Amino acid sequence: MLEVRNISVYYGAAPALWDVSLEVGPGELVCVVGPNGAGKTTLINAIAGLNRVRSGAIVFDGRDLTRMPSHLFCGAGVAIVPEGRRLFDQMSVLENLELGSFISAAKAHRRESLALVLSLFPALEAKLKNPAGSLSGGQQQMVAIGRALMARPGLLLLDEPSLGLAPLIVSDMFRAIRSINQRGTSVLLVEQNVSMALGLAQRAYVMEEGRIVMQGHASEMLERPEIQKAYLGIEAP
Amino acid sequence: MSWPSLNLLGQAILSGIFIGGLYGLIGLGLGLTWGLLRQINLAHFGFVFLAAYLSYQMATEWGIDPLATLLVLPPLFFLAGAGMQWLLARFEITPFNSLLVTFGITVVIESIIQGIWTADFRRLETHYNDQKFTLGNFYLPVPELLTLLLSVAIAVLIWAAMRYTDLGKALRAMAQDGPIAAAFGINEKGMSLMLAGVCAALAAVAGICLALTFTLAPSQIFAWVGVVFAAVMLGGLGSALGPLVAGVIIGVSEAVTMAVTAPSWAPIVSFSLLIAMLLLRPDKVGR
Amino acid sequence: MNKTVAAILATGALMASVPWLGLPAFYESLLYLGCHWMVLALSWNILSGYSGYFSFGHGAFFGIGMYTSAGLSGNLNWPFLWTLPAAAALAALLGIGLGTVVFRVKSVRGELFALLTLAITFVVGTIVLNTRIDGGPGIYLNAVAVPALGPTAPASLYLMALAAAVLSLLLAYRIQYSKLGIGLFAIHDDEDVAEVMGVPTFAYKLIAFGVSCALAGLAGGIHALFVAYVTAGETFNITVPLTVVLMSVLGGTRHWAGPAVGAVVITGLLYYFTAGNNPVAGRAAVGVILVVVILFMPNGILGYLGKARRKRSAPARPAAVATAAPAPPAPIAQVALRSSEVLLEVRGLSKAFKGVQALDRVNLQVHRGEILGLLGPNGSGKSTFINVVSGHYEASGGLVIFEGHQLTGLAAHRVAHAGIARTYQIPRPFAHLTVRQNVVLAAMFGGARVSQRVAEHEAAQWLEFTGLAGKGEALPDDLNLHQRKFLELARALASRPRLVLLDEVLSGLTPGEINEAIELIRKIRDRGATIVFVEHVMRAVMALADRVAVLNHGKLIASGPANEVMSNSEVVTAYLGAAHA
Repeated sequence: MLEVRNISVYYGAAPALWDVSLEVGPGELVCVVGPNGAGKTTLINAIAGLNRVRSGAIVFDGRDLTRMPSHLFCGAGVAIVPEGRRLFDQMSVLENLELGSFISAAKAHRRESLALVLSLFPALEAKLKNPAGSLSGGQQQMVAIGRALMARPGLLLLDEPSLGLAPLIVSDMFRAIRSINQRGTSVLLVEQNVSMALGLAQRAYVMEEGRIVMQGHASEMLERPEIQKAYLGIEAP
Repeated sequence: MSWPSLNLLGQAILSGIFIGGLYGLIGLGLGLTWGLLRQINLAHFGFVFLAAYLSYQMATEWGIDPLATLLVLPPLFFLAGAGMQWLLARFEITPFNSLLVTFGITVVIESIIQGIWTADFRRLETHYNDQKFTLGNFYLPVPELLTLLLSVAIAVLIWAAMRYTDLGKALRAMAQDGPIAAAFGINEKGMSLMLAGVCAALAAVAGICLALTFTLAPSQIFAWVGVVFAAVMLGGLGSALGPLVAGVIIGVSEAVTMAVTAPSWAPIVSFSLLIAMLLLRPDKVGR
Repeated sequence: MNKTVAAILATGALMASVPWLGLPAFYESLLYLGCHWMVLALSWNILSGYSGYFSFGHGAFFGIGMYTSAGLSGNLNWPFLWTLPAAAALAALLGIGLGTVVFRVKSVRGELFALLTLAITFVVGTIVLNTRIDGGPGIYLNAVAVPALGPTAPASLYLMALAAAVLSLLLAYRIQYSKLGIGLFAIHDDEDVAEVMGVPTFAYKLIAFGVSCALAGLAGGIHALFVAYVTAGETFNITVPLTVVLMSVLGGTRHWAGPAVGAVVITGLLYYFTAGNNPVAGRAAVGVILVVVILFMPNGILGYLGKARRKRSAPARPAAVATAAPAPPAPIAQVALRSSEVLLEVRGLSKAFKGVQALDRVNLQVHRGEILGLLGPNGSGKSTFINVVSGHYEASGGLVIFEGHQLTGLAAHRVAHAGIARTYQIPRPFAHLTVRQNVVLAAMFGGARVSQRVAEHEAAQWLEFTGLAGKGEALPDDLNLHQRKFLELARALASRPRLVLLDEVLSGLTPGEINEAIELIRKIRDRGATIVFVEHVMRAVMALADRVAVLNHGKLIASGPANEVMSNSEVVTAYLGAAHA
């Protein structure tokens, strides 16, 4: 469904991603882990159309998205839950959700989508009229995910959704993500919380310093000493 | 300082409300582009006056009813505004430089106006000028009343559009976080063009009202800059109703000041409010 | 005497001979206007062009000068020449008073400062009009005697304006190349970073504003006699500020002579159109020029020419600095490797932003001569720690003690003077200064506070140390990320700090570049600096750090030798999630 082929992304003259390739199949839940500065956010922003790709290709559902202007990515079926949420803080929760379904394809099903989001995150029902910026971190994350769902995407991109959240809330949230995936939406998840990410995903990629250094089935990866070293700098005894 | 009669004071307040309505109408377009596009568009004033003169021309030379010009001029100015935005967007200018460039454009417009209509004062004489309603002891001249009604109606319309329509929400989202708005399908370039066009059309409406209520002279363009900026900054950038409310407050304060002291003290009101606003609540103004 | 100064004085002397050439009075008036606008534009540029605080209030101070002279000579019968220093002084005083209030409000910059100063103009004008200063009818100066400096009255006025113009040119030139000027240019590019590097931003802005207003007042005073009839409406309006902005932008705001060039060009243009009986076309042309210049030549005529010259001469310039390999920079401080002496201590340090607790009562000690790694997951408060210690942010609670002195609450430039330097995670060089000038500035204003000449020498050595010797004349934009990071490093080191705070210096570098950087950091410590560095690249942390401190959600959760800390279960949880504990 999603094919990223050998993309390189530069910030000015400096390379941020080198020759990165990955795939997400229909209905799959794939995660990308790696230390900070590895380029995970750059990668996910490129797939969402927020970063320009210098070379390589991004193909989604058979369509080549690489050279398309940013505002057409959503219509192609890709929706993002950005790092740090990036909600429209001064607008209400409901308005944020409505904006998720701005594109005409999603607008037609707005009411349905809203019902789905509220069933996934019932706590938001009471907060619909409140400004998004006034919600707690966990609730804001729910709104961010909800906003992306309103676009009825074929592929959902999540960038470090657990950032700054208490463990209990993170568990709930990951349960919701699993549920979304089980309904048929492909998910690409970038995470700092390695164990939870690997517990959720089917396949995983590990990034370091702008490249993919390892990939495989999630269940096997956690045991590998490379992950310990990449994150903690400790060689296994 | 001598306290005027209650009647005179009341009439002064009324005229303050009327001129406040015009401040708000002029300030509406200015505040929208400043708040949503981060551009300080001094050319707005040029557009207002150009529309005023064109309306004068059409009414005086060609006998068209000024109210009919409301149908002709705004669409034309919509195109002009979108066109100017399109040209300027090709250069990525900072908000400050947009101030300078649009000032240059205004100077050019002022010169063109002076070239065509000379520096003489021009007064649009229509049958509306002499008509007025009376409310008890007070006079409500028709042109001023019309301006106020238009101003309120348009401000409410825009406020409703920004609040309730998808387009309005998209504009507000775009102003808050352009890239993420784009990620959800909002076309920043197209939106900016449309907004610039709408604001230019609003300038045209304000210009027509200006022609109906004031005597025109090219030198007058910059006289409005200070007080309209004050209304926009006090009312809030990007707000639809704010400049109107602030405009009325400024208008009434000025009128009362003029009635109680002398007309020449009037400018101090708006400018002092502006200075106080900037020093005490700068976070409420600009970014 | 400096060549440029000599040239200015010589030109002045030459131009002073014009009145005796017997030209019609019209030309003297024209020359007067040229000089008049030169003074106004040059004085405006000293604050607005150099520091970036574009003022639209120049008319207010010009007007104050005008009314001071008019009032003193017209109403109080002072001899005219004595009114000029008074005009300049009063304008300067009011400017400094205004600046004291306005410059303290951090967010009033850019277009807000412009609008505020414009509003001031109208307020002052209204007050002048309505009080006894003017009262309405204006002030007549017909009875005032024009000082007999030249053969005729217009000639004398011209000579006064010429003198003022020469004075303005000299001041603009001297300031640009002085410590004040360098500081102002830094403020222009990035005021917050300038402050952190040790530039006393508030004081410098006030000085620039004072000088600017004084010259404007002087021009106003002379002009009062020129027009001989002073009214508020003609004086306190938008014309003066907009014209000086146009002239300066046209000539180039970053060059001391730019406004003078712009003044001459515009005055000439306006004359041409007025003489040709088409003043309206003249104004239109001025408007078009402003638009064209901003869009295509935002750096003005001189800026454009300067850029072209740089492009042509660039390839021919190798490391123009030292011919012999310079000796390694002198040690920063007595090296006592890994002593137990406490250099920096933070106690209960807290910082909150709008509901987010970025730092939560952190207690930490940094020992002299050590390399301390500051770690933690994203959002744990590491950058905030650096920002608070360096004075970039104010702490919400707790203490910062450096070498026994309390630094909490001090202005950032004082923290820099105390001997602390930092780099920024995303490099923030002064974009319009060359690489060399960036480093020179840090040497001049930072803890070492050396003279300009010594600073140039220091800069050369630090550029060599960081491998940037060949790039001294380049602009930061021309460097790649690796080089920009090393520029940050050179800048931090040039102030000879005892404590260096590095914020993710290695992020974005290739593996080879990371190895180079690790070597460099070691060398820095060997020269006597103590280093606290925030890093995510684990192998660098393991290779460099003597001790490590880990933050999570703003709290310090562990500190000690690297190997111990990284096996601590709480730390593992913070990084990898609960499953691993």
